[in-house]
This record gives sequence, structure tokens and C-alpha cells, in this order.
Amino acid sequence: MNKKVLVIDDEETIRKFIKIQLGKAGYEVKEAADGEQAMVQLKRDRFDVLICDIMMPRKNGWEVLKEVRLNPETSEIPVIFLTAKNEDNDMFKGYELGATYYITKPFTKSQLLFGLNTIFDRKKNSLY
Amino acid sequence: MEDHNKKRIISLRWAVIIVTSYLILFGKGKIAHIDLGQLFILLYILSNLLLIFVPPKWFSNLKFFYSLVLMDTGIVSFGMFLSEKVTTDFYLVFFFILILASMSRNYKLLMVISGVTASLYGILLYSWGLLESEQGISYAIRIPFIFIMSAFYGYIVQTFSKEKQKQLAISEDKYRGLFENANDGIIILRNSPWQIADVNREVEQLTGYKKGELLQKDAVDLIAPRDKQEALSFFEAVIKEGEGRTEALSLARKDGGSSEVDLSIKRIDLGDESFFQVIFRDLSDQRKLEKKIRESKRNLEAIFDSIRDQLSIWAPDYQIQRVNRAVIEKYHTTFEELIGRKCYEAYYQRDLPCEKCPVTVTLETKQPASVVQKNPTIDSTLHIFSYPILDDKGDLLSVIECSRDVTEEQRLHEQLIQSEKLAGIGILASGVAHEINNPLTGIIGMAEASLEEEDISTIKSYLTDILNCGQRISEIVKGLRSYCRVAKQEEQNPIDMNEVLEESLKMVRLAVKTSSVEVVKKFQPIDKVVANLGEIQQVFTNLITNAFQVMDGKGGILTLCTRSLRDSVEVKVSDNGMGIPQKHLSQIFDPFFTTKKTGEGTGLGLNIVYRIVTKYGGTIDVESKEGSGTTFTLRFPTRRDEV
Repeated sequence: MNKKVLVIDDEETIRKFIKIQLGKAGYEVKEAADGEQAMVQLKRDRFDVLICDIMMPRKNGWEVLKEVRLNPETSEIPVIFLTAKNEDNDMFKGYELGATYYITKPFTKSQLLFGLNTIFDRKKNSLY
Repeated sequence: MEDHNKKRIISLRWAVIIVTSYLILFGKGKIAHIDLGQLFILLYILSNLLLIFVPPKWFSNLKFFYSLVLMDTGIVSFGMFLSEKVTTDFYLVFFFILILASMSRNYKLLMVISGVTASLYGILLYSWGLLESEQGISYAIRIPFIFIMSAFYGYIVQTFSKEKQKQLAISEDKYRGLFENANDGIIILRNSPWQIADVNREVEQLTGYKKGELLQKDAVDLIAPRDKQEALSFFEAVIKEGEGRTEALSLARKDGGSSEVDLSIKRIDLGDESFFQVIFRDLSDQRKLEKKIRESKRNLEAIFDSIRDQLSIWAPDYQIQRVNRAVIEKYHTTFEELIGRKCYEAYYQRDLPCEKCPVTVTLETKQPASVVQKNPTIDSTLHIFSYPILDDKGDLLSVIECSRDVTEEQRLHEQLIQSEKLAGIGILASGVAHEINNPLTGIIGMAEASLEEEDISTIKSYLTDILNCGQRISEIVKGLRSYCRVAKQEEQNPIDMNEVLEESLKMVRLAVKTSSVEVVKKFQPIDKVVANLGEIQQVFTNLITNAFQVMDGKGGILTLCTRSLRDSVEVKVSDNGMGIPQKHLSQIFDPFFTTKKTGEGTGLGLNIVYRIVTKYGGTIDVESKEGSGTTFTLRFPTRRDEV
């Protein structure tokens, strides 16, 4: 069964690009244009990983992450942050809140896939 | 005095001579020897003429005076003898003699003279045998009558003279009182050597010596040794000229100290002797006062000079009356060169007062005024204050100008604004990075996808995405350029606040992506304000950024309002954020006051807003309620007289 990914970003082109590439790599991709839409999707569906932008209207990445971690049903889902804020402070804040991985914009297909692979490899290892 | 006596005696004698001559020449009795009578009259006249040449002093000499009276008694008696038989009233002439004698005011001598006269008359009467005639008794009675008359005269004269003495004594007392109680020291000196004859109490005070001691002293010894030579030459000059004055001699006091005095001396001649009246005026108090005045003047000058701001006092016609040392140093000039010149000539090398001169304002309004202006001659920026100096009636006497060099301050201020601006650009840059990175990610991603795609129409759709992203980046860069369009520091243009607000809002939106903030704009058409664009942009971006930051995506509403007031435009920036705690309200405009974490804010933003707004003569007010938001109200005057 294909892994299910939720891409949360207010930038349509980025969502499109991720969907194309992950689709090719065998993931099932769903999209959300902001944090609130994401929360709706999360209630409706189960996801294996979230790829989430930080700076978004209405509900930003931090808030999404916080809610995801607080909810027992979603608290174990790995979250990859996409951010243009490549400052150390932001990274620490993200990890503190429970982010699993970080990808700074702009990024390429291989960076994206590498990130996902790392997560799932780790998850696989932790299972054994 | 003597002169007066002499005149009286001589005139009286003329009267006696005239009456005697008349009786001898035209009397009832026959003249025995007419030639002898004429000779007698001639001699008598001659004697009086001789008296004219006798020195006046002789007349106050009793011996001379009585010889004269006795001689006259003899002469008159001889005249009677010559007129042969005193049937006439010749004896009346004796009364003249007695009157003459009474002038001596000596009662005893008068009695002697009258005795002699009465006897002589008696002898004459007897020798002529008149006593034995039938009218003998009426002749004889004339002898005691002469005596009684003279006693009577003597009495009157003596009474008068006593009365006069009494009056003299009274007036002497009066003068003594004046003399003793005079505020000035008075010394009566006998002519050389400068022996002291009398002193008043003030002299005792001045010198510290008792009167008894002073009377033993030579006046020159009273003068302090260092002034003695001067005093001696002064006294010598007085002997020649009769009077004189000196300035400030020192008296040597008994206790070793000295008193400063002015001397004035006048010679008084009394008979043979001449005295000098010396008046001392004590200068100690006056000197002390003068010294105090000098000291207080020096003090004031020292204070005036010690102030490091440049102070000048101007007459109402812009003439420099006075300046302090700071001015001299600042303009590398001298007091002589500045005093009396017009200020605009001296300081600015101009022919007319400067346009923005605060002194002109003070001259017109009698109110303080101030201005910040550049003085190109000394290459400095000056903050100039002018204050009126008014007299009791409220009329303007002069203007005091205080000017402070704020060149360095101004430079630091500009630097601070610049550095805050740079910090702002830093925040902006990270916002911009985010904003550019989004479409850039799209471009890179879609380009990669295109490379892997074979289907031309799919590739085309990807390329459209890439193009869109590229155009967005181009928009951002354009916006950034307009924001960073750095207006020259001093350039000021009419600015539409509405436009600047829009532009600033766009920039802040780029930098702070708290996109859930709703922006409400209530812009009215407003007058333009002359200002530096960069500075006004800085004001608005600072305020809007703050507003965005405090609302931080919690359904915030930013309200921007503008409207025209009578002489100004009003800009309101309101948020519905957490508000400012009451205790911080008074500090928010202070430099380096911040509630943000280290690294997030410099604490200069609002301070710079404040400084820029006030620089344009504007005001900024803040209203805040904790939990419900903050409103900043800015007012910029549309018409400004001074910067």
C-alpha cells in the first residue's frame, strides 16, 4: 500500500511540484492550502507523513504541528517542515515542537525524496 | 573787620571836622585869630587824610585807638579855645568824641576819656570865666552832663556787646555741634609745621587716636608711610593755592590698620594766623561696596564665560552688545571685533538678518523662540534659542541668544536613524528571502519536472507555472527597489501620506507574513506634507510592523486612517493586539526600551518614530488598552515656518 502524504503550503506551484514528484515515487499525495484546511484533512484521513510550510495565512506551520502532536491520533505522524527561514532559531524551535525533518526552500526533487527516505528508514529501523 | 573799623573811625572824624570847622568859622562867638582857626582846620583835615594811609590792623590796637581818641579830645578842646568863649553849642562836639571812644567797647577806658573830656571842658569854662557869669549854673551843669552821657553810652555799648557775645557763644555751640557730629572727619591745622589745632569725633574714629593724642601730633604723621610723600607734596600745593583735594590716601590707624580717605583742604585766614581746615571722607564703606560690586560683576562674567553654549546679547537692532568666551572660541575672533557689529554680519557674513532667525521672532513677539540651522561659516549645525530681556514696564531691552553646537548630535541622530533603517532592511531581507524562495522553489521544482517530462503540452503547463513564479519574483524585487529608494538625507519634498502608507504597508506585508491580519484603510484626500520621504516611510513601516507583530495572526485587524485637519494631517495606525501595559506607556518612546527578546528588536523603532515626527513639528500620541489594542495618532503640520 502506498504511503499517504499531506502537503500543506499556501504556494500552489510548490504543492503541484511535490505532488508530481512524489506521485512518480509512488506516494499518494493530498494537498492543503493552509493550516486550517490541513486540520480538516487530518480529521478526515490518516496520513503517513506531513510536509508542511511554516509561514502560512490563517494557521501557520507551528500551530499545525502543535495541534498534530497534541492529538493522540496524529501525534506519531512524522512532520517535515518546508521553510524559507533557514535560521538556526527556527530550526531549533521546529525540533523542539516535534518536527521530524527540515527542508529549506528552495529545494530539489532529490532533497525532498532524501528527506522522506530518511524518515521512513528511521521508522523502519525503530520498528525492529 | 579791621578795615571796617578804620572806615567808621575816619568817617566819624570827618563829621567832627566838618562840625568843628563850621563852629570855628561861623560860630556865634567871635574868632580871636582867624588865621590860627584856618590853620587848625587844615591840620585837622590833614590828620584825617593821614589816617587813610594807616594800616587797618592798627585800628584794632587799643593803644593806637586811645591815643587817637585822646588826641581828638585835645584837638576839639583846642578848637573850642580858638572859637573864643564857648557861648556856642560847641561842647556838643565832645559827644562825637565820646561816641568815637565808645567804639572801643571798653567801659573803663570810656570813663577815663569822659573824665578827661569833662575836666578839659570845666577848665575851659573856668578860664573863660563863664562859670561866674549869670548863666554860670547852666554852663556848670554841662560838665556832669558829659559824664552822665558817656556813662549812658558805655552802658548801652556794653549791653550790646554782651548780647553779641551771648549770640556768638550760641552760634559757636551750634558750629561746634556741627563740627563734632559731622560724618566726615574734620581737622583744623595750624600753618606749618602741620600742627593739629582741633579735631572732631569722626577723626578719632578714623584714626583710633584720642583727641588729646591727636593734638600732640603732626598731621603728616597720620598718613600711612606709603602715601606720606604724596601727602606732603599735596600739602605744599595747598599752601600755594589755598585749597585742594586728593583721592584715596591711606590713614595710619593707631591699631596698625589703615583707613582709606579722600582729603579736601581749605585755608582759613584769621588775622595774622592762617589755619587749614582738612576734611576727611572715609572711603572704607564706599570701597567695600565698590569691591562687592566689582566682585559680583566679575562673578557674573565668570558664570557667563563658563557656560559652554555660545551666549550673545543683542540690542533690538541686532547689534551685538555682549558675548561670552565660548563665542570667541567658536568663531576664532576677539571681543573687540564682535561688539557693536550686527550679528548677521559677524556670524554669518550676511547683509540682512537670517530668514529663520529666532531673534527676529523674539523681537516681534517678546517671546522665546528657537531654531536648528546650519552655519556654513563655521560648518556647524546650531540649535539656537532666543529669549527676551524685558524692563520693568515689559518693554524689550535686548535679546539673549543661546546657541548650542548640535553638529555631532545631529550626525549621531542621523546615524541612528540610518542604523535603524539598516536593521529594518535586515528584517525585510529575511521576509523577502521567504517571499522569493517560495516562487523560486516552484521554478526549480517545475523545471526539474519539465526535464523529466516528455509530453509537450504537460511541459508547457509546467513552463507557465515557472513563468508565473518568475513574474512574482520580479514584482517583489520591484517593490523592494521602491522601498529602498533612499531619499537623500536633506531632501524634502511634498509627500502624500496616503501613498507612503500604502507603500509601507506593502513592504511590511512582505517582511512579516502574518497573513491572517485584515487591513482596513480609511483614507481621505489629504494635503501634502513637506518632508523627507525615507524618514516618513520609516515612521510608517515601524508602526505597521509593530502592529503586525503584536497581532501575530490572531484574527488581527490593522486600521489605517488619514484625514485633514485645519493646519495638519492626521494619520492613525490602530491594531487590535494585546495592547501596551499602562506602566510601559510612558517609556515606549524612550531609546532602547523594548519588551522584545534580545535580537528581535533594538528598542529604537518608536524612539526614531518620535524623533522624526517631532522633527517635522508634528505630534505623536498613543492610546492603548491592554487586551484590546493600541492606536498611534500622528499629526503633521502642513505649513511649517521652521524646521
